[in-house]
Amino acid sequence: MASLVAAAVRGRLFAGLVTGALLAVVGSPVLRSPSDDDFPLSTYPMFATPRDTRQTLDYAWGETRAGERRALPPPLLGTGEILQAMRIYEHAVAGGKRTLEPLCVRLAAAVAADARYADVAVIHIVTGTHDAIDYLVRDQHGEERERVRCRVMPPPRRAP
Amino acid sequence: MTRLAAWWFAPAPAQRLAAMRIIIGLYALVYVAARLGELASVAQLPGGNFAPVGVVRVLGAPLPGWLPLGLAVATVATLACFVIGAWWRVAAPIAAGLLLWTLSYRNSWGMVFHTDNLLVVHVVALACTPAADAYALAPRPGAPPASGYGWALKLLALLTAATYVLAGIAKLRLAGVGWLDGDFLRNQIAVDNLRKALLGSPTAPLATPLLEHPGWFAVVSLATLVLELGAPIALLGGKVARAWALGAWGFHVGVILLMNIWFPYPLFGIAYVPLLHAERVIEVARRLGRTFLRR
Repeated sequence: MASLVAAAVRGRLFAGLVTGALLAVVGSPVLRSPSDDDFPLSTYPMFATPRDTRQTLDYAWGETRAGERRALPPPLLGTGEILQAMRIYEHAVAGGKRTLEPLCVRLAAAVAADARYADVAVIHIVTGTHDAIDYLVRDQHGEERERVRCRVMPPPRRAP
Repeated sequence: MTRLAAWWFAPAPAQRLAAMRIIIGLYALVYVAARLGELASVAQLPGGNFAPVGVVRVLGAPLPGWLPLGLAVATVATLACFVIGAWWRVAAPIAAGLLLWTLSYRNSWGMVFHTDNLLVVHVVALACTPAADAYALAPRPGAPPASGYGWALKLLALLTAATYVLAGIAKLRLAGVGWLDGDFLRNQIAVDNLRKALLGSPTAPLATPLLEHPGWFAVVSLATLVLELGAPIALLGGKVARAWALGAWGFHVGVILLMNIWFPYPLFGIAYVPLLHAERVIEVARRLGRTFLRR
């Protein structure tokens, strides 16, 4: 009987320790600055930060042979995530010509290898400043500054 | 204190906790397996993009390309043991540790994805509980644990609620009650969709029509904050918990419609499994399986 009671106490003590430890760890982000995000112990700041609708962003676009503009989605950079793509462009722009040119060439190669972008002839990596509401609701675009451009080389034809 | 302990340790069937192990573990397994290609691509990114988070902070530089992929494959293999309840005491902590590592590594390339957090926390918590005492390849022999299974179920529910409360607290800490006026949310949605438009991703279907009507965003902001800060009511269980889960699920559907951001863990309902009688799902699956085999 005594051993059963001792086992019950031990069991509850273990459960209490696991509960206390996990709750303390998961709740610990409230002790950090809310902007100090981490994984998996997040402060969940994603929709909380005040934002100006006027945004300056680094991105790329493709120019077709007909001179039209085509957006280039993140998978062409090797990521499925838009924010990761944004960081890649930011990093390249911050690094200047040394990082911009290889990124442009890499993007051009990915575009050349993807039949859905067969009409794209030139890649432009730019820094654009737009007002989000004007851009989306009123279709008013802001200014863009070109950082680098490169040509898309068609893939070599296979020998018959 | 005694009443709290009695509530926390109230008896619950081993099958309910085991069902959570299967459902959450299976989701984690499929989630990682489906991302093996992406993990391989991410590992090829230039080292300058490496910004380690969480446990990956122990690294000063990215791992050689084959190693993260190898660890991700090992994560899938150990999660398979996790799901079937094999070698639980050894396999479960290893699976949880590998999942933590693999998803932290995925998040270490300039952006923290908030879609994976609760999944990792749930798997880690499950690995600390007697979740393989039923529906397992090798159930633990002997009597059930003296502390029972009810506390583990409540812990998982509490972890779900905690993530929502933290998100609500962040809004109040960063923006104050001003977050409720709707402008913060409207600007967030506008900026998020602008990024999508410029970076080649589809914008959300309701974003542009609603951005023209700022008044709506005050209502959506209030509903969001009430849902997040009110998450602990889900611990009451029963209809209240189910109603909160439905509201939280609706919130994530709203996030798709306004920002085209997908949180698959709650959208598939897995985040809310701790609030439900999960063993019923397994029983239905078993019955269907038996019917199918008889044919």
